[in-house]
Amino acid sequence: MKRVKQLIVITLCLLLNITTVFASTKTIERTEENEYGVNKHWNITNSNKQNIKKTPYVNANEKVYDYADILSEEEEKEVYEKINKFIKETHIDMVFVSIDMPYYNDKQNEDYAADFYDYNDFGIDFEHYSGILLLRNKYSSDPYFDMYTFGDAQLYFNQTRYDDILDTIYEYFYQDNNYPKGLEIFINKCKKYYDSGYASNYKYSYIDENGYIHQNYHVPYLACGIGASVITLITMLILVRKNKMVRKAITANEYLDKGSIKYTQSMDQFVRSHTTHYTVSSSSGGGSHGGSSGGGHSSGGGRHG
Amino acid sequence: MSKVLDNKCPGCGAPIHFKPKLGIFKCDYCEGEYTAEQLKDMEKINKEEVDTTNYVNYNCPDCGAEIITDENTAATFCVYCGNTSIIKNRLSGEFAPSKIIPFKMEKQKAIEAFKRLRKGRPLTPKTFTSENNIEKIQGVYIPFWLYEVDVDGTIEATATRVKSWSSGDTHYTKTDYYNVVRTGTMSYHRVPVDGSTRFANDMMNTIEPFDYSKLIDYNHAYLSGFLAEKYDVNKKDAFKDAETRTLNSTKEEMLNSMHGYSSKTIRKNKLESKEKNVEYALLPVWMVNVKYNNEYYLFAMNGESGKFIGNIPIDKKKTILISIISFAVSFLICVAISYIIFNMGGAA
Repeated sequence: MKRVKQLIVITLCLLLNITTVFASTKTIERTEENEYGVNKHWNITNSNKQNIKKTPYVNANEKVYDYADILSEEEEKEVYEKINKFIKETHIDMVFVSIDMPYYNDKQNEDYAADFYDYNDFGIDFEHYSGILLLRNKYSSDPYFDMYTFGDAQLYFNQTRYDDILDTIYEYFYQDNNYPKGLEIFINKCKKYYDSGYASNYKYSYIDENGYIHQNYHVPYLACGIGASVITLITMLILVRKNKMVRKAITANEYLDKGSIKYTQSMDQFVRSHTTHYTVSSSSGGGSHGGSSGGGHSSGGGRHG
Repeated sequence: MSKVLDNKCPGCGAPIHFKPKLGIFKCDYCEGEYTAEQLKDMEKINKEEVDTTNYVNYNCPDCGAEIITDENTAATFCVYCGNTSIIKNRLSGEFAPSKIIPFKMEKQKAIEAFKRLRKGRPLTPKTFTSENNIEKIQGVYIPFWLYEVDVDGTIEATATRVKSWSSGDTHYTKTDYYNVVRTGTMSYHRVPVDGSTRFANDMMNTIEPFDYSKLIDYNHAYLSGFLAEKYDVNKKDAFKDAETRTLNSTKEEMLNSMHGYSSKTIRKNKLESKEKNVEYALLPVWMVNVKYNNEYYLFAMNGESGKFIGNIPIDKKKTILISIISFAVSFLICVAISYIIFNMGGAA
């Protein structure tokens, strides 16, 4: 019932605004009456209410939200059509958002993207709200872009795949070079990885109802086979050695008179020191992260430029 | 005329005996088998070359029968009267042993030790340790050189101490390098070296150690009922083995005295082994000849401590079966461990 009411409100708003079905920057007000526009199963609490209110409430069918105005209307239409085609073929939602928002760290961009996806109706008809969001922040001091995955879509992308996609589109996004081309490649790459199936490290994974990735146990046959072979080899060598008792003596330790040991010189002189170091990467890419909604998502790690 | 020794083995030079059951001559030491014709032919060839074997005719002091032995046998038996015959000139003068450890273990102990060989050795063929496979058991006093050795010198090594720690996302590894020197002396007491080429050195090494507190002054009387050999490796040549073993042990001891290092690499090794004193002793060993599946196996038991050694054949079928069982069990253990690790790590 709640959902039907929300849809009616959105439809009326759309009709009144006579907007196109794509590339709108129009937003709907979040009020208590429309239950703050949250139609997914997230709990609205005092801690996330402010995040919800701050998040633009948009028509989830538009897919392209060019707040930074980096695409022409014609380009928005082309991107919208390509995204729609992707969604129909994959049953994974896809959203492109451009903003111009000051930020101090990548996490702020990630929080914005997660809230934008979670508190709108993206992926609402798909498994665990499955979808992909590409965020472009044109903030002049530090332009940034990253991709975020939600629901089952997370299982198609590991860090290698994220890196491939982001590195490929980097040259098109860098200095606003060619967004339409970059977005076209982005969509094609996502489709390619969807066709390839789950990423290697998620082959035995599943998504819980809150969108977090979990591993199913599976027997690591290769590792167990190698382990068992090594144990068997060592066992057999020990058993064979028990049968082959005859060995040539190379020391005379048992005949050493311990009391006779006398050292006339015993020197331990420090010569030099050498220190090496390496940095353990704490990249945020891959794996489930929690958003303010309580739902999980993954991110590609982001690129500056 | 009875002959204790009829021929020398063409393969190794040890005495070779006629085996009535097999109808051939068989060497108990190298296990070579020859027909009478083969031996005759080989004898002819050898005579054309140089016959270095010194056969000795010897009359049994009890019954007067003539006994022929090879040049290294110091005590043997008269096949007529069964009494021990000691060839005294091979145990006197330069060949006079100064010490002897008398046999403490009896023949039956060697048989029991052989029968127990399967225990804890699952690859041993089931019927191998049957008493019926024992062809011959003989108590032998084996000539040993016992060296007092002093080793002195210097070992110089480069040693490292490694310390690791983390600060934030950065992991550090610090390696400190040291120049470590040890100069000193140490002494080795009665390092035994087998003085007979007839017995394999590694076999004699393996039955060590002998309890030297049982070492007493030599007396012919202890030879009664046993064979005895005289040395055919002189003390100068035999010292090479003692030298190698004592140098290795000294190097090990000096390295062990370098405490607290992660690694040690020897840069300079200037150790010298010096023979301080040497004793010639007869030490007791039971030699056990075993025939299994037409193959010969030689075992030895320390006649003082009872330590029984030798190479036991491996049963191929058992090896395959145990390998399969081991692999299956190991695989299941690996699966169980991976499952436990998976659950401990959480499913997320």
